[in-house]
Amino acid sequence: MAELIKVKALKKEYKMGKITVPALNGVDITINEGEFVAIMGPSGSGKSTLMHILGCLDTPTAGFYSLENEEVSNMKKSKLAAIRNKQIGFVFQTFNLLPHMNVQKNVELPLMYGGYSKRKRSRMAKKVLSEVGLSERLKHKPSELSGGQRQRVAIARAIVNDPAIILADEPTGNLDTNSGNDILGIFSELHAQGHTIIIVTHDSYVAKRADKVINIVDGLIQEIEETQKTDATAGN
Amino acid sequence: MAISLKESIIVGFSDFWSRKVRSLVTIMGIVLGTMSIIVVLALMKGINAQTLAWMMERGGLSKISVYENWNYDNPLNLRDYFTWRELELIRSLVPEAKYFNPQEREWVKFAYEGKEYRSAVYGVLPDFKYIEEWDADQGRFISEFDVSQSNDVVVIGTEIKNELFGSKDPIGEFITVHIRRLQVIGVMKHRFMKNSGPVGNENGLAYMNRRAFVPLSTMIHKGTGEDNIGSFVVKAQDAESAPALREKLESIILNLRQGKPVFRVESAQEEAEQMAKNQRTFQVIFFVISIISLLVGGIVIANIMLATIQERTREIGIRITVGARRIDIFIQFLVQTIVVTIIGGILGIIVGLSLLDLVSKFIDIKLIAGPEMIIIALAVSAGIGLLSGLIPAVIASKMDPVKALRYE
Ligand SMILES: Nc1ncnc2c1ncn2[C@@H]1O[C@H](COP(=O)(O)OP(=O)(O)OP(=O)(O)O)[C@@H](O)[C@H]1O
Ligand SMILES: [Mg+2]
Repeated sequence: MAELIKVKALKKEYKMGKITVPALNGVDITINEGEFVAIMGPSGSGKSTLMHILGCLDTPTAGFYSLENEEVSNMKKSKLAAIRNKQIGFVFQTFNLLPHMNVQKNVELPLMYGGYSKRKRSRMAKKVLSEVGLSERLKHKPSELSGGQRQRVAIARAIVNDPAIILADEPTGNLDTNSGNDILGIFSELHAQGHTIIIVTHDSYVAKRADKVINIVDGLIQEIEETQKTDATAGN
Repeated sequence: MAISLKESIIVGFSDFWSRKVRSLVTIMGIVLGTMSIIVVLALMKGINAQTLAWMMERGGLSKISVYENWNYDNPLNLRDYFTWRELELIRSLVPEAKYFNPQEREWVKFAYEGKEYRSAVYGVLPDFKYIEEWDADQGRFISEFDVSQSNDVVVIGTEIKNELFGSKDPIGEFITVHIRRLQVIGVMKHRFMKNSGPVGNENGLAYMNRRAFVPLSTMIHKGTGEDNIGSFVVKAQDAESAPALREKLESIILNLRQGKPVFRVESAQEEAEQMAKNQRTFQVIFFVISIISLLVGGIVIANIMLATIQERTREIGIRITVGARRIDIFIQFLVQTIVVTIIGGILGIIVGLSLLDLVSKFIDIKLIAGPEMIIIALAVSAGIGLLSGLIPAVIASKMDPVKALRYE
């Protein structure tokens, strides 16, 4: 399997006046194409920070990061924007939908920045929304949806451009068990379709289904478990 | 690639629309500013038209007047009037002048059947009626024959007629002016122009209706008995040739008076230009005030945009996450501000145009609208949008997406 993400000695520090808060203290990770990776760790351990860097939203203080064998620190800002647009889909704990836009428009947003025509956008957005079971809610505002539905809109937005990598930062953190399980089901489905999935979770059940579990404590990787595949369809 | 301008405008409009009340409050300053620009520009245009109309009433822009220069103290005691012969010489030197009318004024008492009226009588030539574009509309005006014969005839203004004759037909009647009896041969057309100034008669031209006219020769030979004529008026072929003719006349007259400025030679064209210049000062002040009020409106908008961006921090983070480039965010907010100010500009234009008639009634000057005002108002409001949107847009585009996403 091809190496998709390679991170070496990754450091991230936040300067707060005179004190420096370390968030990542030298992280090494390799993630292959098509893997399902779970990131676990206590609050404040640097999971979100790592996700932001992997998602090209943030830049590390030091260290090496290559994406598809290309060094990210050498990339121009416009290239990074294009990567966020086409290669990476982000799903957050708090959904992060635009409240003034309806469901379909929210999902069309990456396509707009991707330069697709209006008709194409509409077609693609409707298609992914039907895949996450929201065909009936196209014109609803996010505030008119349940938490689970909102997260499904967010997933639809993340996958509408068919990105190679999906980054999900505690996607079930704000959901009850049932809707959380629905959402996790969608991620399994996406994984089965060949997407690389990196998910921050506290749920050991999710971790069990992952190809790889990365445990972070205080900005350092404690251990990486390569789990036995219990699911026959995963990891083809 | 990425977001197009059209897309930004659509996003700008939908942002405007989804926050209707706030958007309307935001643009009030721009609405008022463009409204006042429209009113001021229409006022300027109205005043200009009125000035021109006034100049036209007084004989048009091709008129050149020569009269004593009151500012010159004349130490050599040069003659500060013209003789009949001098005027004949001057006339022969400017054959290109279309009309030529020397005139002398005298304050007199008109008497008719026990009634008296004090006013001015003017000795003139027949060209007077062409130069002033003012003729008798009852009876006739002074003819060449009247001049050559120094006839004892008079043409009176409507006010003299009303005072002395009331409703009686004055033509053919004799009135006494000092000790001479003059036969009324005509009544001048009544002159009227609405006076918009704060003082004076309601009729801005009332003074003209109080005048009477006699042949210049009659006045000189029989009236005052003195061969001195204080002023004369010339009409050029057209307004364009008036300044050149004015210069020529000036040098002729300077030659007649040892090069000293005993007389003033003034062309209506230049006078109009001078008036326009004087008015321009006020116009510039008005305009600057409107621009300042627009700038204040712009500052308000900039302020609200900054608050909006603060509020929409998360949205900016989300947009960057899904692939918006800095320039996309920049354009989005800049265009949005411009959309807001242009909507404000359009509303201001509509309100301003609909106010014109009302203002006209109020200040008694007809305000005149024109397409150039709409263009100016739109351009200015878009410019204000550009200026006030720039800083907020830069701030929005420089936002750190991670901080923006963590923003509560
Ligand atoms: N903008 C910032 N300025 C200063 N410190 C920060 C900033 N963002 C994060 N940190 C610090 O970096 C560390 C890692 O934060 P991060 O959000 O990555 O943790 P996390 O593992 O995602 O925690 P949680 O499970 O609670 O989401 C924390 O100590 C946090 O306080
Ligand atoms: Mg976190």
